[in-house]
Amino acid sequence: MRWHLIFLIGAIAFSSAIQGCRKKPAAAEADPVENAYSTESDWNNPQQNIPLNYQQTQGQKVFYANCVWCHANSTPAGPSNISNLKPTPALANDGATLNSLSDEYLQNIITLGGSAMSKSAMMPSWGMTLAQQDIRAVVSFMRAIAQPPYQPSARSASPYTGRER
Amino acid sequence: MSVEEQGRISNRLRIFFAVCSVVFLGVLAISPIREQLRAWKDYKRAYVRFAESRPETRRLLADFHPGLDQIWLPQLNVTDRCTTCHQGIDQPSLMDTSAPQPFRAHSIIPHRATEWGCVVCHQGQGLATEVKEAHQATLSWEKPLVPVKYIQASCGVCHRSNMAETPKLNRGRDVMADLYCVGCHKLQGTERPVMLGPDLTNIGNKTSREWIYKWLKDPRTITDTNGNVTVDGYENEEEPRMPRFRLNENELKILSVFLGARKSSPVEPYKFDARILTVWEKKPDTVDQGEIRFRQMFCSTCHSLAVVRGGETQIIGGDIGPELTKVGSKITTDWLISWLRNPQADLPHALMPRYGWSDEDLYKVTRYMLDRLTDPDLLKDVSKLAEAQTAEVQLGTRLFQEKGCSSCHVISGIKSQKDFGPDLSAEGTKTVSQLDFGDSKIPRALISFIEAKTSNPVSVNSNARMPQYHFKEGDVAAVITAVLGMQGPQSVPGIGTLVVPASNTEYRPAGEFGKVYQRYKCDICHKFAGHGGTLAPDLSWEGSRAQRRWIVDFLKNPQTLRPTLIFRMPQFNVTEQEANLLADYLTMAFQTELVDLSAANPAQFTREQAATGKQIYESKYQCQSCHTIGATGGYVGPNLINIGNWLNAAWIQGWLKNPQALVPDTIEPRRAFSPDEIQALTAYLLTLKQNGQAKPAAASGGLQ
Repeated sequence: MRWHLIFLIGAIAFSSAIQGCRKKPAAAEADPVENAYSTESDWNNPQQNIPLNYQQTQGQKVFYANCVWCHANSTPAGPSNISNLKPTPALANDGATLNSLSDEYLQNIITLGGSAMSKSAMMPSWGMTLAQQDIRAVVSFMRAIAQPPYQPSARSASPYTGRER
Repeated sequence: MSVEEQGRISNRLRIFFAVCSVVFLGVLAISPIREQLRAWKDYKRAYVRFAESRPETRRLLADFHPGLDQIWLPQLNVTDRCTTCHQGIDQPSLMDTSAPQPFRAHSIIPHRATEWGCVVCHQGQGLATEVKEAHQATLSWEKPLVPVKYIQASCGVCHRSNMAETPKLNRGRDVMADLYCVGCHKLQGTERPVMLGPDLTNIGNKTSREWIYKWLKDPRTITDTNGNVTVDGYENEEEPRMPRFRLNENELKILSVFLGARKSSPVEPYKFDARILTVWEKKPDTVDQGEIRFRQMFCSTCHSLAVVRGGETQIIGGDIGPELTKVGSKITTDWLISWLRNPQADLPHALMPRYGWSDEDLYKVTRYMLDRLTDPDLLKDVSKLAEAQTAEVQLGTRLFQEKGCSSCHVISGIKSQKDFGPDLSAEGTKTVSQLDFGDSKIPRALISFIEAKTSNPVSVNSNARMPQYHFKEGDVAAVITAVLGMQGPQSVPGIGTLVVPASNTEYRPAGEFGKVYQRYKCDICHKFAGHGGTLAPDLSWEGSRAQRRWIVDFLKNPQTLRPTLIFRMPQFNVTEQEANLLADYLTMAFQTELVDLSAANPAQFTREQAATGKQIYESKYQCQSCHTIGATGGYVGPNLINIGNWLNAAWIQGWLKNPQALVPDTIEPRRAFSPDEIQALTAYLLTLKQNGQAKPAAASGGLQ
């Protein structure tokens, strides 16, 4: 019965060779904050960090250069300009107000200014100052920090009113 | 042997050969079957199935081909096969997280993945076609993927200047430059500055042996009520440049008495005007007056003080010069007066401007600093130290070199050391075999090595001379990013053609203007023709911007233009002559061709234009959301109450047309004003004038 043995060994070698080829290393689930390009602390809870990808990081940069003065409660220079303005501008992380508005609407109001969208003229138009990709980046940054968190809507929304059609 | 027997043997042989041939065929088949089952071919097939399950199948499969995909960048010595498996890397529809890996598209980045490949940024092994070989360290490949939190290191390999897109890398480079890592290590892209630590040749004139002992023992001197070190003794919220070295009690004492004896040339005591002395010596409020003057002069623009606000100790003020909270317990009177009168005489590279002091101010301010900015408990736990003996001087000289002090500090007569620590200029390319882990338990990988060395040098080598740094949260990662980005000039043969070099920052005007410019150190805060600091406005085009008379008035009595600015221009006490010289030079030399001053005359504007301008300022464009006129308006832009005396008409016109053309990083948005609107707004703004002498800045203190 020696040939039985030889056959068995051959079969095992064959199947293990094939098995060896198919082995895939299991990918460990990575920590999103550790693996982020950069982070922004949650405005409502400074202990919490929100991961940002490259585009959102560029938006963060544009935001802290141009928008932070009126759309945040504190600024790099200290006091916020928010108290001087009426109507009061929305905070950039105000998900309750901004989540229902479409990306196109937000890009439009930044590009064209408040008066073009029948809002307060205190919001200037940024279309001649910022590049479109900067404006898209700012919107993606605002989406990233929104509280409650932003969930993209499946339905398309009007770029002029921001409401779902 | 019978026939029967022979038949049985041949029968057995036949079966044996049959089995052998089957096994042989099977073994031969392993190779092609293995090839068919290669992981990357699995991924290729899986991608086709995945693409067919999506509505945009046609677009996803447009560039598909069944073989290996490869990107070859000969200049960077990179062969990149990552796109063999990561096939959707450039498909916009696969960007969200619902697309499975490895087919997910890359989020938006400045370099297209299909042009530059993956390993230029992520590192790893580009040639590999096995998952593990490509991503992880194996026996034959020591460089795994760089973790995403350090990915900006890869940007730094080619981009040697700081870019806005890489905040972490910039932060790491800045921290390393601030802490003078270059004092001991060779770094890529960082030259050794002329001065690292202070020159200690005459340190014995400046301070006491006991203070030196305390400083060497722990350069951070402020502790909160729980005994935690909250703020260091040197710089505002930053790691002190002088780190804490590992010195034992004996070494501390020897170094302190050795340094206390360094006074080769004594300081001449300053003779105050006798009349001033008799008046101010006896006044009960001299110290208070000194404090007021200290604030009026805006010393806090560069120096910080610890202030107790609502039960919390806060450090308020700038970080260009040292923190002064306890300076009165440190320095001697004669040294302080001589320093204030002429810092550069003591230290040729000192950044401090040479103020024009009156005897009265000098006396008041020094009294304030020496009486009020003190801490009686600072030196209470330091025992008195005796004058240095010859043996201690010899030992001290040796310790000064052995501990690496002479890498950053100069003492004339003691040889200065360069490259005291290991060369880090190509640290990012080092392999595990080039690193000395000793018998530590650290994982054998470059990143773990740098992480351990940065956060606790002794964890790698118990005899490490490198001092312990206390980085702020996030700064460790920033420093590691900067170190990983140093890959040496020759790391890649063709990289020289791709490297974006760092810009050089040397600008030294000559002549009379140059002397005043050097005296007041204008470039510490202001930028001139692209060179200088960023604390204050860029003055490269000041001649086009401001009216000459306004410049003279401002230099004599600086006051803030922007309500939210914390930093203010110090009162240098410039003379009339200096103010006129600076104003003449600024208006003549620092102009831009974008603004033609002769084209706009303030007299050309009509009253109607100004009325229209006021109307569109207030209603159509609502400029008051950012600008204040008088008491109402926003904090963001400058106060416009005196703009008619401040700016040139042509500058206002040019500014309204395109602010970024004049100041590229200004936050004023460019608006689509019509030419008539620009005329009207300019006319209105020119009518805004504050008459009479402006209120002196003295009304508000520097620390507020």
